[in-house]
Amino acid sequence: MDYQSMLAVGLPIGVGLAAIGSGIGLGRAVGSAMEAIGRQPEAMGKIMTSMIIGAALIEALTIYALVVFFLLYGKIGA
Amino acid sequence: MKLIKFSTIVIISSLATSVLATEAKESKPELPSIWGILFGHEGFLGHYIDIVYALLASVIFSILSIKVYKNRQLIPGKLQNFLELCVEGMFNFLTTILGKDAIRYTPFLGTLFFYILINNLMGLVPGGHSPTANLNVTASLAILVFLYSQYTGFTKLGAKAYLHHLAGQPRNIAGWVLMPLLLIIHLVTEISRPVSLALRLYGNTMGGDVLVAAFVGLGILIMSAVHIPIGFPIQVPFIFLEILVSTIQALVFTLLSTIYILLMLPQEGHP
Repeated sequence: MDYQSMLAVGLPIGVGLAAIGSGIGLGRAVGSAMEAIGRQPEAMGKIMTSMIIGAALIEALTIYALVVFFLLYGKIGA
Repeated sequence: MKLIKFSTIVIISSLATSVLATEAKESKPELPSIWGILFGHEGFLGHYIDIVYALLASVIFSILSIKVYKNRQLIPGKLQNFLELCVEGMFNFLTTILGKDAIRYTPFLGTLFFYILINNLMGLVPGGHSPTANLNVTASLAILVFLYSQYTGFTKLGAKAYLHHLAGQPRNIAGWVLMPLLLIIHLVTEISRPVSLALRLYGNTMGGDVLVAAFVGLGILIMSAVHIPIGFPIQVPFIFLEILVSTIQALVFTLLSTIYILLMLPQEGHP
């Protein structure tokens, strides 16, 4: 099995696994934000700002997996 | 009436992107830009296309600011009002994090935010290219932030307190024994900060570009079945998503730089 087949199988699986982790993390973060808004609707502006910033930081780890995908993408195919 | 104007703009921009997209590169799907079409990849400054577009963004930004500053009046006109809104909003936002002395760091951090925002948004205009879709541009911004925060810590704390802060601030015997370990951990944290900043911005912008380009290709593929050379504009919702993501990523970059500068300043609790 040459390295190109392994790359072609492994890279999308890697990105998919990173997406699972990001989905779980973002679900928890946004869920807590929704709960907090439900408790105190007048603090919605601050809570949403913090939620967006937190979501961008959680998303960054999935983006690292995507960057690795872009780095190795050109090596598949002769 | 507004709906007609909006829909014509959407259709014309998707036509433009679809017609331009037939000459995309091979390795990853990418939409061509005006400079790339006029001069090509090997033509006049073809290799430095990111620098050209980044300079274009800075020149537009600078000309706008200088023009408003030269004719500033006590009762502001529309453009001056808008720029004052931007600057004051940035200052209020930074004051909630940095405290009273945010005015010293507002020029750098505010410029960083608007520069990254304009760079990201340039890629969404048909015929434009976002320089932040290149790892070199984001890495240079991250290195700049790293050097500035280290310089701030060095000058604000003094040399001895800076090293003390690096070593994890040992206070008693247990602190001094653990000092080498804490030093290594602290150094790795410091190095990983600009790396994560650069990769986050690069990944988000490049990912968004590739997403839009892939959907443009798909739109052309759909319409090729009926032999029409114009693509179906299915990339439009993703351009809206990209506008949101660009703004959020510029904000996150600026916010993290602010927090890194805040961590270097003397805080209450430790002298």
